[in-house]
Amino acid sequence: MECIDGVNRMSKQEEAKSQPGICIQWEEKLKELGEISGDKELVRKIWEDNEALAYMYIWHCLLSF
Amino acid sequence: MVKDTEQLYIERLSRYTTAMHNEKPDKIPIRPFVAEFTAKYAGYTCQDVTHDYQKAFAAVRKCAADFDWDAVVGNMVYVWTGLTQAIGLKYYGVPGIDVPADTGFQYREPPEEAAFMKPEEYDQLIEDPTGFLFNVWLPRVSADVSEMEQPTSYRNNLSFLKGGMAMLSYFNSFGQQNALLRSESGTVSAIAGILKAPFDILADKLRGYLGLVTDLLERPEKVLTACEALMPHLLHIALSGADPDKNVPIGFWMHRGCVPFISHEHFDKFYWPTLKPVIEEIWARGHQVLFYAEGDWNAHLKSFAELPEKSIVYHVDKADIFEVHKAIGRKFCISGGIDNALLSYGTADEVRERCKKVIDGVAGDGGYIMDASAIIQNDASIENIRAMTEFTREYGVY
Repeated sequence: MECIDGVNRMSKQEEAKSQPGICIQWEEKLKELGEISGDKELVRKIWEDNEALAYMYIWHCLLSF
Repeated sequence: MVKDTEQLYIERLSRYTTAMHNEKPDKIPIRPFVAEFTAKYAGYTCQDVTHDYQKAFAAVRKCAADFDWDAVVGNMVYVWTGLTQAIGLKYYGVPGIDVPADTGFQYREPPEEAAFMKPEEYDQLIEDPTGFLFNVWLPRVSADVSEMEQPTSYRNNLSFLKGGMAMLSYFNSFGQQNALLRSESGTVSAIAGILKAPFDILADKLRGYLGLVTDLLERPEKVLTACEALMPHLLHIALSGADPDKNVPIGFWMHRGCVPFISHEHFDKFYWPTLKPVIEEIWARGHQVLFYAEGDWNAHLKSFAELPEKSIVYHVDKADIFEVHKAIGRKFCISGGIDNALLSYGTADEVRERCKKVIDGVAGDGGYIMDASAIIQNDASIENIRAMTEFTREYGVY
C-alpha cells in the first residue's frame, strides 16, 4: 500500500531500506530468479502478496499482541 | 412486534455514524467497550474468553443480544493468549497459567535493564524497522524463536508456522463474528483496524517506559528519528485493517505519551509531530480515528484541536469530560465519561445520575456516544451496566 507523501517525507522512507508492506524487496528476489520466461508481473504480484502476510505477522505481533 | 434485525442494524449504524460525525442522531448511541464483562455475563471465566476466542465471540454476541447496544467490539479481550502461546511470547500473564483463571490477562513490562531493545540499537531500528522486529525483537520476546546466528530449533520453526496460521485464523474469524452480530442482534461492529503512536510503541514494546524517558534526555535525536521511521509502518497497518466502507473508525490506543508521564516539551517535540501527520493521512483517505485516551490527556487538548473537523472521535477516560467538550466538542464527537469504579461499586441510582449529568453536559447538540470511561472488565456490576444502558435509551432521545 502506498503511503501518502507527507508521512514518507517526514520519515525519510523514500530512501529507507524498509518499505511498508514488504520484508524482502521484489528486486532482491528477482536477482535470485534470473530471467523469467513467463509472466513476470504475476510472479512479482504473488511475491509481494505473500510478503504482505509476513509483514502483517510481525507488525501485529508488535501492535496487537 | 420485534424489529427485523437488519432494519435494527441499519438504524443503529446510522445513529452511530451520525454521532461520530458530530451530528445529532435520533438517540444517543450506546457503544460500551465490554471486555471481560462479557465473560462474567455469559458465565465464562477470564481464562475461557482469553484463551478460546470462540467463547469470547459467543460471550460478546450474548451481551449484544440481551442489551440494547448500538455497537460493540467483536472481541474486546483482544489478546488471544492461544496465539501468544503459539508464538512463545513471554510478556503476558495468562489467566489460568500465570494469574488466576478469573483475572484478566496482564502485560508484564520487563525491568529497564532487560528492555526488549537496547539503547545502542536505535540505528538498527531506524535503518530497517521490519528487519529489526524479525531479527532482534522477536527472538527476545519469544521463548521459542532463536536469535540470529544461533542454531535453529524445532520450537523456532513451529512458532512461525503456528503463529502465522493462528493469526490468520483469528483475524479471518472476525468477519464471521461481525456478520453474526449483524444478523443475530442487529449490532454494529464498533471499530476496524489498529493504530498506536510511534512514541507509545517505543515505550510499550521496545525500550520500556523507563528506558524511553532516559533516552529522551540522553539521546533525544535518536528517539525522534526512530519515531519518524515507525510512522509509515504504523500508518500502513492502520489502513490495512480499516473499514473498507469507511463507516467505523480505526481504534487508536493511547498509553503513556501524555503529561505527567512525559513533559509538555517532550509531547510537543516527540509525541505529537510523529502522530499528527499519520492521523491527517488517515483522514485524507476517508477514515476516522477513535482516540481512546486512556488516563487523562486534557493537557493536550489544544494540540488535538489542530486536527481536521470530524477526523477523530475522542474517548474520555479519567479526564474531565466537560472540559473536553468545551475544548474540542465543536469539532469532534466525544464518548465515555462514566467512571468504571462507579459501574463496579456504585449503586444503579448513582450510575443513572452520572449518565444524566454527562448527557446534560455534553450531548445536547449530538456528537456524544455513551460508554464507560475505560474498557469494562469483570469487576463491573451487571445491574449497573443495565442501568447505564436503559437510562441512556430512555433519557437520551433527541
